[in-house]
Amino acid sequence: MSAPTLKIENLKLGFKLWSGMVEVLHGISLHIGKGERVALVGESGSGKSVTARIVLGMLQEISTARISGSLNFEGIDLDKLKPRDRHHLRGTRMSMIFQDPTSSLNPVYPIFTQFREVLARANPAIGEAEARMKAIAALADVSINEPERVLDSYAFQLSGGMNQRVMIAMALANNPSLLLADEPGTALDVTVQAQTLKLMSDLVEQHGTSVLFISHNLGVVREFADRVYVIYKGRIVEQATTKQLFSDPQHPYTRALLSAVPRITGGGIPDIAEDTAGFLDPLIAHPGASEKERLA
Amino acid sequence: MKKTLLILTRNPLSLLGLILVTIIVLAAVFADFITPFPEHVGAVVDFTNFNQPPHWPNIFGTDLVGRDLFTRVVYAYRVSLILAAVVLIIAVPIGVAIGLAAGYLGGWTEYVLMRITDIFLSIPPLVLAMSIMGLLEPTLTNGMIAVTAMWWPWYTRLVYSITRSEREEGYVLAAEVIGASKLHIMFREILPNCVPSIVTKMTLDFGFVILIASSLSFLGLGVQPPTPDLGSMVADGAKYLPDSWWLTVFPGLAILIAVFGFNLIGDALREILGGDQ
Repeated sequence: MSAPTLKIENLKLGFKLWSGMVEVLHGISLHIGKGERVALVGESGSGKSVTARIVLGMLQEISTARISGSLNFEGIDLDKLKPRDRHHLRGTRMSMIFQDPTSSLNPVYPIFTQFREVLARANPAIGEAEARMKAIAALADVSINEPERVLDSYAFQLSGGMNQRVMIAMALANNPSLLLADEPGTALDVTVQAQTLKLMSDLVEQHGTSVLFISHNLGVVREFADRVYVIYKGRIVEQATTKQLFSDPQHPYTRALLSAVPRITGGGIPDIAEDTAGFLDPLIAHPGASEKERLA
Repeated sequence: MKKTLLILTRNPLSLLGLILVTIIVLAAVFADFITPFPEHVGAVVDFTNFNQPPHWPNIFGTDLVGRDLFTRVVYAYRVSLILAAVVLIIAVPIGVAIGLAAGYLGGWTEYVLMRITDIFLSIPPLVLAMSIMGLLEPTLTNGMIAVTAMWWPWYTRLVYSITRSEREEGYVLAAEVIGASKLHIMFREILPNCVPSIVTKMTLDFGFVILIASSLSFLGLGVQPPTPDLGSMVADGAKYLPDSWWLTVFPGLAILIAVFGFNLIGDALREILGGDQ
């Protein structure tokens, strides 16, 4: 078996403040195989987004951050890479999609200018005409009907759903092997969110892109992901294939999380205390889904 | 740009501002052709016609050595406009670059740059300019240096505050993620979003720079005779009030009109472009 696209081992993160260290991640391990779609699920503040930023190497620039553990990208140890080479991976081999598509596009430039900058990351010598052609093709891939018009528009002239699709097209434009999706579409309404996720799902399959899908929305995760890691307060508490997790949640926290999903049949959402006993129980890996078995 | 001009002409106050500023600029540019005695700019003496109240052809009267006041006021506008333009052309890029760097880079860069800015801001502007002028020789160039030195911190503060809020925006993060350089993010992503506020402030400041420069020369620290300057004309005339009122009133009005005109446009731009102060 070839090296997984991303392998994180015993990743710890703390912030050094005047009052001492604040531990954010307590040694999490996860991996994403080639072409695999893996979800990282947890509540706000559980450490989902910081994990993505560490992978991109953006937290390392903060002087108060203390990071340990190993990061492996396609068999390369990211920490041993020169900062320059590591920087070069961003936007070419790995890219990211954000929550709010409209604010992720600079309001003062038309879409094309920004698209071209993305393409220029991979090929600095790209010409105007070629960039335009590629951009149009990429936008057509995300089912945008009038790519020409969209390219000459500004972000605020497009709808949220359109912007989200533009962001997806941009993120995949350079054929990255890893896509970090940080709660994509949370800022959109549910139907548009479902459409764009379906689209993204098809596209990553076509491109063979691995995805780390960060979300708190279990419904979306169930639709989209192959495997799920549940994270709580900086620890992975349960890992399983999507099917296993939803049919047979075992960790007390996962159960609480699942019972907190509003149901169309009513019944209300149970009150769950913040520090219910058992939430900090050690990791439960479903059969066949532990790191050891997966990476063997 | 075209749209902005159109909106400017629709509001009576901003239209007035636009007309005043246009007249001032045109008068300053074509001073050689519209003034009756262009030679009175220099050290000319005409004792047969000195200290006269307004009359034809000296519509603003004449000064103590018989020079046409109207001519000198128009030429003084030219000096003032050049001074204001040069000051802003130098002060704005410096202030903007420092504000961007402090706001985006953060950390020690921010501490050092903003504390230096605060030091400049904590000294009353006129006192700062006066002390610089006191150290240097009172010439037009040094006047520009002094006013520039007191002006850039305001742009640093303005751009710093915008940058601080813009750097949290998604597009900055998105640019960082795709690996854009710091310079690219500062100047190509964040700066364009600051432009409306900067332009608005520059228009407002144009009037204020003229005012400050006039204050300096009123105190004898600015442009030196015989070059005409509104501030020093007011200062010279003040000794002869109220009898020779025209010596003070016309240059004073000239300052008032210029500051008023630029302020009207600036206020209108602030509303149109949504720039905040």
